[in-house]
Amino acid sequence: MKFLKVNMSKKSVQFQEVPKDYVGLGGRGLTSVMINTEVPPKCDPLGPENKLIFAPGLLSGTNLVNTSRLSIGAKSPLTGTIKESNAGGTVAAALGHLGITAIIVEGQAPKGDLSILRIDEKGEASLLPAQAYKGMRTYAFAKKLLEAYGEKTAILCIGPAGESQLTAASVQTTDIDGRPCRAAGRGGLGAVMGAKGLKAIVVDQRGKNADAIADSKTFNDAAKVFAQAIKAHPFSGQMLPALGTAGLVAPVNSLGAFPSYNATKGVLEGWEKISGENMAKIITERGGKTTHMGCAQCVVHCSNEYVDKQGKYMTASLEYETIWSMGGMTGITDLDVIAKLDYLCDDIGLDTMSTGVAVAVAMDAGKAKFGDGEAAIRMVEEVATGTQFGKVLGNGPAAVGKHLGHHRVPVVKGQSIAAYDPRGMQGNGVTYATSPMGADHTAGNVIGEYLSGALDPLKADGQVAASRNVQIAMAAVDCTGLCLLASFALTTPEGGQAFLTAMNAKFGTSFGPDSIPGMGIKVLQAEREFNRKAGFTSKDDRLPEFFYKEPLPPHNKVFLISDADLDSTFNF
Amino acid sequence: MMKVTVRLFGTLSQKFPGYDPVKGLEVEIPDGARVKDLLAHLGIPEIKGGVAAVEGMILKLEDPLRDGASVHLLQAVYGG
Repeated sequence: MKFLKVNMSKKSVQFQEVPKDYVGLGGRGLTSVMINTEVPPKCDPLGPENKLIFAPGLLSGTNLVNTSRLSIGAKSPLTGTIKESNAGGTVAAALGHLGITAIIVEGQAPKGDLSILRIDEKGEASLLPAQAYKGMRTYAFAKKLLEAYGEKTAILCIGPAGESQLTAASVQTTDIDGRPCRAAGRGGLGAVMGAKGLKAIVVDQRGKNADAIADSKTFNDAAKVFAQAIKAHPFSGQMLPALGTAGLVAPVNSLGAFPSYNATKGVLEGWEKISGENMAKIITERGGKTTHMGCAQCVVHCSNEYVDKQGKYMTASLEYETIWSMGGMTGITDLDVIAKLDYLCDDIGLDTMSTGVAVAVAMDAGKAKFGDGEAAIRMVEEVATGTQFGKVLGNGPAAVGKHLGHHRVPVVKGQSIAAYDPRGMQGNGVTYATSPMGADHTAGNVIGEYLSGALDPLKADGQVAASRNVQIAMAAVDCTGLCLLASFALTTPEGGQAFLTAMNAKFGTSFGPDSIPGMGIKVLQAEREFNRKAGFTSKDDRLPEFFYKEPLPPHNKVFLISDADLDSTFNF
Repeated sequence: MMKVTVRLFGTLSQKFPGYDPVKGLEVEIPDGARVKDLLAHLGIPEIKGGVAAVEGMILKLEDPLRDGASVHLLQAVYGG
């Protein structure tokens, strides 16, 4: 249990014991509590007072499967709020193996200065010059880093977008195969990393200094049961390995809630061409991989390798939210074009969701026609080449709307919505409006309630409670390192009990089922407190006006939740 | 008897060799049949989270189907 504190102003690295106020926190719980405690709420997110925190989950690096999520936290330059963006890959497990509870990056390097933070097999840390890699895109950069530090290296890095401090910039991280194709995309945290002068963090994956497990036999037994529960669940055991998250294209279009043509329709014409079913067919015919292990210790294998007609790698992994932002929102129904756009975003270091929505806003404003794939590729390339419009696009959809004088910009607190229209899935609208993160589906996705028939997606009744419950649950899950896509096994009696047993066996605690929501509530309270101090009020917990005024076909509903009901979301 | 067109999503089509995703399945079921009757007719167990959507609305197992309906059979999903 130790913190690695990195001061970019002084170019110093220092390990310290975890202060007692932070003991027992991990992942989003740690990043959010620390930011609320230590970061001045009104500071410039791209200035020296902001802190960029990398925290593996409480269980990352153990042999409990699917616990390789890394939380990255800071004050967001995109939203101005507190932010936690998390990513899979291999870094969280590598830090867990070294007993590192968090890396805290403070201060700011002189302008133009660029460094790499390296943590070796023994856990020793050093800052190394990275001027030679200035402006390099992530695929080429990751290749160089693997050559320099060996194949057993986990990488976090930024591309040209992050170096340019554009607020849709991502932090990319490497998958099992060393490709920088996984991302902490949301909130522009790549820009914070760029502002710090940090081009990459490289962590040796062979560390053998993990924190002790209080009762390893009980832990290992519970870990086996939990793995079985994930495999037995129809979603994580069957659907995700077969189609990945792209399997959501059909259900969400079937419900008329797939925001299309910049959220003017709820069904994309020709959505079948970009469905998970068709993607799997194309990948199979071309000899790619429909199922692929992307993250350390994963048993779900929701990842894929999308290849071109010659069988050559195009991108990994093509996922639902990207297919939506680059396809549904833009009207592009050619998966090859969407795969190219996904690769470009990963390579330049951009959030695919913010970028796709930014392109859609530009199309809606008349800069190109919906469905024009070549125009979309040109626009995204402009981010890397650094044209004036490229810089605007790289700052996300709100910046594009302002630049082009266009009113229909589907963002909350500056961050784009995700692939569920709030008029067709009202509870997801509650989450977008009220999440401390700005519009964010991973903060509380209500879709499971709709598809199970438990809740009518088109009526106001029950939506606030449903959003509240999943927001609390997700905040808790994000503390543990557990992947959202494996977390649905927690809803089964055997899966939920096994996970709790493993938690208690690791820490020597006696948490009961009620302790888990308590953990989520504590996180949300810290995040809300930071936002209040930063100047946010309930008036910021609203959707853009057009969602209340423009009915969405085919159901022709508007967003129905009253302001008073939205304001009751966090009445814990 | 009535006819409905069924389109299968997720992994549901795996047990129907030669399934054509463009045409779907033409299924004949008794008048007044409900969603659960259609699932039983196709041999899709309810416990697998099979859900039906017609014209953008989720149907429950007890909901009746109408002649000529285009039914999407989906698997429960929880997030992406």
